[in-house]
Amino acid sequence: MKLDVSFLLDVFPLLLSALPTTLLITAVSVSVGFVIGVVIASIRIYRVPYLYPIAVSYVTFIRGTPMLTHLFLIYFGLPLLVDGLASFAGLSFRAASIPLIWFAFISFSIMAGAYMSEVVRSGLLAVNRGQTEAAYAIGMNTWQALRRIVFPQAFATSLPILSNSVIGMLHGSTLAFTVSVVDINAKAQIVATTNWKFFEAYIAAAIIFWGLTIAIERITGHIEKRINRYNRGGVA
Amino acid sequence: MIKLTGITKSFGRNQVLKGIDLHVNKGEVVVILGPSGSGKTTLLRCINYLERPSDGQIVIGDSIVDCKRAGKQDILQLRRKSAMVFQQYNLFKHKTALENVMEGLVIVQKRPKEEARERSVQVLEKVGLGSKLDAYPSELSGGQQQRVGIARALALEPEVILFDEPTSALDPELVGEVLEVIRKIAKEGITMIVVTHEMGFARDVSNHVVFMDGGVIVEEGTPQEIFSSPKEERTKQFLKRITPEWSYTI
Ligand SMILES: Nc1ncnc2c1ncn2[C@@H]1O[C@H](COP(=O)(O)OP(=O)(O)OP(=O)(O)O)[C@@H](O)[C@H]1O
Ligand SMILES: [Mg+2]
Repeated sequence: MKLDVSFLLDVFPLLLSALPTTLLITAVSVSVGFVIGVVIASIRIYRVPYLYPIAVSYVTFIRGTPMLTHLFLIYFGLPLLVDGLASFAGLSFRAASIPLIWFAFISFSIMAGAYMSEVVRSGLLAVNRGQTEAAYAIGMNTWQALRRIVFPQAFATSLPILSNSVIGMLHGSTLAFTVSVVDINAKAQIVATTNWKFFEAYIAAAIIFWGLTIAIERITGHIEKRINRYNRGGVA
Repeated sequence: MIKLTGITKSFGRNQVLKGIDLHVNKGEVVVILGPSGSGKTTLLRCINYLERPSDGQIVIGDSIVDCKRAGKQDILQLRRKSAMVFQQYNLFKHKTALENVMEGLVIVQKRPKEEARERSVQVLEKVGLGSKLDAYPSELSGGQQQRVGIARALALEPEVILFDEPTSALDPELVGEVLEVIRKIAKEGITMIVVTHEMGFARDVSNHVVFMDGGVIVEEGTPQEIFSSPKEERTKQFLKRITPEWSYTI
């Protein structure tokens, strides 16, 4: 077997046509997941009545089951639910008209939310109690104290691990091909079926993912440096 | 004016404050003394509701709060009329000295940014930190951090500033600069309640000294009365223990 270098080079632009799909799935699941994560982490830390046990079950269930399983649960379960609700409400809307990529958005966001809630929670717990007390002492209400004092510090602490979550989601987004969404990896497979040069196609895909990962590390490293400026001094 | 009536506080079964009555006039500097565990910190923290009192009444200026029925708004009112200087400084560590002082003015008091900045610079200059406006807490010495803490409280123009052992986390050589600042603002007629073990400072600066033990006020009076002719046996013993011999001989 010989490596077809010219095919490898030709394959890049083809795979890059699927780049927006990969980036979109990653961006949506990371952003929605982050919001879910902050909400869930806050519910758990402040032990919000009624919501607390729900939040805990959500996190343990999602973390206790594989990502691919979530995707199938949503893929097969959501249409039943949507169609049931639609006919109950007398609407003509049918689940078949939901774009496939939405199943990836929904299931990956739910998954990212559970994982990120743990990251955010540890960040929140790392914020010194005295910081909140000082905020209350100058007259802030709970929301002001969270928004101005606690969240920014928690975010700064969590950033390195959050960057890992983003990378995890980028790589995890390849599972979307199982519900017929064409991401970079799926594109590699499609491109290769015409001439059976799977190896070249996947090498190209790997290089693209590697490059994206490095870019994510660079960007978060840069943000980290900027927002952690306050930690540089010697005395605590 | 601050008036505490019948303040009690229990942690589980442990009653830490057993009915505290205290009256502080405008412009007065009240020092609270007492052995470790007597409830001094708890009392200060009850005044601004960092600790929820079990019972009693708190009056600061025109806010009257019944501790059994205090709602969110009542608590916010008390906190906005008071300010606190912490033993561990508790500066917002992701904000510069200037931002620390501005934060309450802008976010809580909703003052325009420019005005808040001007006022903050002014107050930081007063505590001798005009050259450290853009320094983060991690770049400041303990004494400097505590002076930012004082500026943060002072800038809000509260009815009362609560100090909980403001110098006891400091290296000995830094205590002086912080006490100097507190002395200076005391002279300007700011109402203050200060928990401290600095007897010299208590004697010079306060108008009124309160001695606490076991969750009650054992004795109170002018510094002259408490330091020179204490009436209660417990006060005498405490002062004897805490005042080094040499301070009598000077
Ligand atoms: N959050 C808390 N939970 C339970 N017990 C507490 C709590 N805070 C304080 N206590 C108890 O209340 C009592 C009074 O504590 P406090 O900190 O008010 O004393 P203090 O007079 O400030 O002492 P020190 O001079 O050592 O600072 C102590 O017995 C302490 O163990
Ligand atoms: Mg104390």
